[in-house]
Amino acid sequence: MSSRDFTVLVDVSMITCIVQRGKANEVVQAAQDAGAQGATIYYGYGSGVRERLGLLGLAVDVNKEIITTLVADNQVELVMERMYCVGELDVPGGGMIYVTKLEKAATYIPEEIVNRITSKGAA
Amino acid sequence: MPQSSIPFGKFTHELNVHRNQYSYNEMIPAAQYDAAGNVQPYQPPGLIISREYVYRLLKPYLSIRFMDQVRAVVPLALYLVFFQMLILRQSVVDPWVINSGLAAVIVGLMLFMEGLKVGLMPFGELLGTALPVKSRLTTIVLVVFLLGIGVTFAEPAIGALQTAGSLVDVSRAPYLYALLNDWSGTLVLVVGIGVGLAATLGTVRFIYGWSLKPLIYITLVPVLVIAGYMAINPELALVLGLAFDCGAVTTGPVTVPLVLALGIGIAQAGGKGCDSLSGFGIVTLASLFPIIAVMLLTLYVASQTTPEAIILAAQAATAAQVEPGWAQASPGVEIIGGVRAIVPLVAFLLIVMVGLLREKIPNPRSIAFGIFLCVLGMVIFNLGLSYGLSKLGGQSGSLVPAAFTQLPNVEDSPLYILVLGLFIAFAFAWLLGFGATLAEPALNALGITVQNLTNGSFKKTTLLYAVSIGVGSGIAIGVAKIVFEIPIAYLLVPGYLLAVVLTYLSSEEFVNVAWDSAGVTTGPVTVPLVLAMGLGFGNTLGSVEGFGILSMASIGPIIAVLSTGLYIRRKIARRHAGNKNDLFS
Repeated sequence: MSSRDFTVLVDVSMITCIVQRGKANEVVQAAQDAGAQGATIYYGYGSGVRERLGLLGLAVDVNKEIITTLVADNQVELVMERMYCVGELDVPGGGMIYVTKLEKAATYIPEEIVNRITSKGAA
Repeated sequence: MPQSSIPFGKFTHELNVHRNQYSYNEMIPAAQYDAAGNVQPYQPPGLIISREYVYRLLKPYLSIRFMDQVRAVVPLALYLVFFQMLILRQSVVDPWVINSGLAAVIVGLMLFMEGLKVGLMPFGELLGTALPVKSRLTTIVLVVFLLGIGVTFAEPAIGALQTAGSLVDVSRAPYLYALLNDWSGTLVLVVGIGVGLAATLGTVRFIYGWSLKPLIYITLVPVLVIAGYMAINPELALVLGLAFDCGAVTTGPVTVPLVLALGIGIAQAGGKGCDSLSGFGIVTLASLFPIIAVMLLTLYVASQTTPEAIILAAQAATAAQVEPGWAQASPGVEIIGGVRAIVPLVAFLLIVMVGLLREKIPNPRSIAFGIFLCVLGMVIFNLGLSYGLSKLGGQSGSLVPAAFTQLPNVEDSPLYILVLGLFIAFAFAWLLGFGATLAEPALNALGITVQNLTNGSFKKTTLLYAVSIGVGSGIAIGVAKIVFEIPIAYLLVPGYLLAVVLTYLSSEEFVNVAWDSAGVTTGPVTVPLVLAMGLGFGNTLGSVEGFGILSMASIGPIIAVLSTGLYIRRKIARRHAGNKNDLFS
């Protein structure tokens, strides 16, 4: 059995963004343009401003898409702002976005990146 | 590295996005306590938003729904217009009336579909879950039956039948004229009863898990027997086209989802037949039963009056033509029609919900708004139907014959030599059916279901093309029927017999899919357009009636899908046989 590396990432934040159904792909694209590596989308439904808008609330879809993406702490501000603007979260019923500070995370990391970082650390 | 330059994008970005930070603590209301120290439930106040935000909220909401309908209407209309201008070299008469009519169709359908989603569908879903729990089978069956009648009246395409009635020449097809004019209300009611019976039978089928094949055989026997009897009588034979077309008209955007929601809910609550196929079959029966119903009504009308009496009465009516009241003139007719289509259905659903089930109505305000949208959409759609779709379809239909025959109002006609002209006319009809079907969103959904059902051996695109080719060929044959004045029975009876043989040979899954695919293809845009085209075509050529194209368009895909299914099965069987030989050699 070969030995395996287990690399843990620190300084990671999770951005969770809830938008109306059908909008997630745009928002994920914006997040990726701002440097996020990937995103997971799942479906849900929820309430809030919709019920307080009266008839205008019908224009808000009950069905939502929930996007989570992991980004570096340094990226958080830019990615969050881009997702907020593209997702039009400043419209009533548009959704919300929040950031959770993560203690650590682990995933596949391309070899050359690991090598670059370790060599930098050694120098 | 000292930074000596700032990207311009970053600069404008800083100007546009203002960052503020507030504490959420300052925004939430303080909890209220009553005298006993309990927390009072918090009621958020209504939100008033400024005009700018109303705009930003409504813009995407409206544009998505608007574009959905634009995609359904505009390509078809453009196809007709370009065909008329480039191939027939005729300009469109009344372009502004037709344009505003088409715009009304788009807006009306948009409002109607949204109203359906907000106002009527919640009812259907609630009924589907609550009814089987609280009522006995006899009550359920009765409710399903009445709902079948209600949804038929609410179907937008049914209005096209009445519009078509005014085009029929009373002296040549008296019974047809009587059915579409004097008896038009009864006609829709009878079609509704057919749909109601079909929905009932389909639901019972769900519960007991019956096979669809014997039901198709049993239903087709009276269809073919009565059709055969009517085909012998020259006066009655003229109504056959209408009777078979009614089957295609009924299965539209109101009937299918509402009846299906109810049927599936019932099947899940009380039945054993809850496999992947539940949900299929109702559409099939709902397009066969109305045919029987309309034919029976014709026989009844024929026993009540004679052709001479109808002609006399019609002549008397034209002679005594009084100034029509606002209810008979456009737009009064459309308004009354719209209200009459929706209100009985809503009243019936309300009575069942409140009176029978004692359920509370969820979100009464949004449901009321949805129903209002439904009625408004229906009225606008009906207006667009009269001024846009029917007019455009009728105009194209009446000009296409100029390709191969001489028309008084078209210069240099016939425009092409006979064979080429006929070919152009059939190609026009075929492409119209093919394109309109390929674009139908309901068919795409059916295709995905089929692909999953057959583990990918029947691909989605295969089904899409099989159905579209079936509809295209059906419409082309229907046009040929008008051109050569072939009695419709000569086409329909062999067609259905062939379908029965194929049904016997096919597996249960394909039978379900194939027979349902016919109902799925005839949406609220295609039906009026094709109906009007056929009637205009028939009128120009001087044939007695232009019905029957739609019925050919529904038998076409059945045969196409069944044969494709058989072909795929044989291909798989041959491949398996080949593998076996390899093993043993």
